[in-house]
Amino acid sequence: MSLRIDMRWIAAVVLVGLLAAAPLLLKDSPYQMAVVTGAFFYAILASSWALLAGIAGQFSFAHMAFAGIGAYTTGLLARDLGATPLQGIIAGTLLAGVVGLVIGLLCLRLRAAYLALFTIAFSELFRIVLLTEFQFTEGSNGLQLSKLWTEITGTQEYYVMLVLLVGGMILMYWLADSRIGLFLRSMREDQEAASAMGVNVVLYKVLIFVITSLIAGLAGAVFYHQVGIITPNTIEILQMSLVIAMAVIGGIESLLGAAIGAFLTRIGLELLREVTIFGVQIEFGAWRYAAFGLLLMFTLRFAQNGLIHPIIDRLFMKRAREETVAKRAQASGGES
Amino acid sequence: MIELEVRDVYKSFGGIQALNGVRFKIQGNELIGLIGPNGAGKTTLTNVLDGVYKPTGGQVWLNGERVDGLPPYEIARRGLGRTFQVTRAFRRMTVLENMFVPAMALNPAKRKRDFYGKAMEVLEFLTIEHLAGEYARGLSGGQQKLLELGRLLMLDPDIIILDEPFAGVHPKLMETIYEYIEVVHGQGKAFIIISHDMESIFTLSKRLLVLNFGELIADGDPDKVRHDPDVIEAYLGEEEEEEGAAIIPAPSAAGSEGDDA
Repeated sequence: MSLRIDMRWIAAVVLVGLLAAAPLLLKDSPYQMAVVTGAFFYAILASSWALLAGIAGQFSFAHMAFAGIGAYTTGLLARDLGATPLQGIIAGTLLAGVVGLVIGLLCLRLRAAYLALFTIAFSELFRIVLLTEFQFTEGSNGLQLSKLWTEITGTQEYYVMLVLLVGGMILMYWLADSRIGLFLRSMREDQEAASAMGVNVVLYKVLIFVITSLIAGLAGAVFYHQVGIITPNTIEILQMSLVIAMAVIGGIESLLGAAIGAFLTRIGLELLREVTIFGVQIEFGAWRYAAFGLLLMFTLRFAQNGLIHPIIDRLFMKRAREETVAKRAQASGGES
Repeated sequence: MIELEVRDVYKSFGGIQALNGVRFKIQGNELIGLIGPNGAGKTTLTNVLDGVYKPTGGQVWLNGERVDGLPPYEIARRGLGRTFQVTRAFRRMTVLENMFVPAMALNPAKRKRDFYGKAMEVLEFLTIEHLAGEYARGLSGGQQKLLELGRLLMLDPDIIILDEPFAGVHPKLMETIYEYIEVVHGQGKAFIIISHDMESIFTLSKRLLVLNFGELIADGDPDKVRHDPDVIEAYLGEEEEEEGAAIIPAPSAAGSEGDDA
């Protein structure tokens, strides 16, 4: 293993170390702590969506809906059956996975725009059911969720989401780097050619829907226990578009790029709420989303690989690839 | 022994009969050319053989096992590999990763590193080993064609179907593809080569299949097939039989022209 590949691990450990130490700086500001915790949630969603769309090529708009399924399941089970948060989170995660399986099976023959439209329809259907069945779901008032445990502190919530993010990233990187990741990318490039090369595209298409739905469901179930309430607005297209835009800005073919993109964008959006320039306080309000939109347009026009992914690629991946190939070429030359 | 048997295969799309009772058998490492005018059903036949299309009627048997109706990945794993009319490299994957896909799909217990040696050997044979770490989208059209041929070798099929391997190919590259076919055929693989390039087809093939309007109108020695009135008519019409015979080249003449190319 080359020095550069080791560098990737060192960089990852340093990054996680910095995030683990951040509460030391944030502990006096519960607001800032909550913002960063929320940014972790969006990072999980954006990176798992990057796995589904960027690596496997399945442009789904239902990712937020799966997070909602996780959250509503745990909330309803706690309210009606007295389930503990842990039981609810497990049930919510599994249900999101089952719905992911069904959506994956229903979408087998759908590609590109048709898949996107199908998942938008599913997402909107779910949101409308939540709104109209308000006797059961509390409708637009939102469903209350208890804290993960009584007396939980903001710092503990921060670490819960950080562990989820790091665990999720490790799982997703392992997947992307495994044979499954190789097959997913071949499927993204050309389903027919992948199939002709012996890849069971049906299996991997359904599998990736299930895995990413499980991740979104888990993240949603845990995060909304921390927020304390979930409303149907969470599932609306605007929220989903936000996640997609975050992943695009980071780089949808890179799990880490999408995660960092989401993290920085989320924090950037909060910082832009109120800016002081030369002593003048400016409140951006909804205009910060306009800035976000501009950034997205800039990315799509000038940096289709995202803004973060090319930096990661330049720093670590490209050199690692070249060295691996050179070494193997040398080895095979030596053998012959 | 390699055996592919196509038993009275029919395929229709709505009212259009794309294949109409096609029947032939391949035994051993035959080198077969499949020709026919545009719309004759060549690519449809390929798609039926590799499982993209399920035939409307008839059966396909591969090495003693019925395979019609199986999905393409199952048929690929059972020993039938193909290329496509338009090159289909996995463009946003590196050349090496392209090579690993079939190898890994075929060998679930093995890891990528187990295939580095073989992949580099194949790439070297195809003269594109220096591009191993490049994304496939950065390769020229011809190099992508070579990559597709290399990928097939990683699948290691018994029967290889090449759909228009010579279309739009530089003469130098044509030589590499000729060599590929000769060497791989020499290793015991059977080939079905679909091409409109008559010179190449007549140079390489030991047996010719001719499709017209979904029917197999000739099957046999290329020298006999080129004089077959049905074949000449299919290509140029009945009234121009003499001209047709001249356009479909004799094997010896084609051979020398092919060498020049």
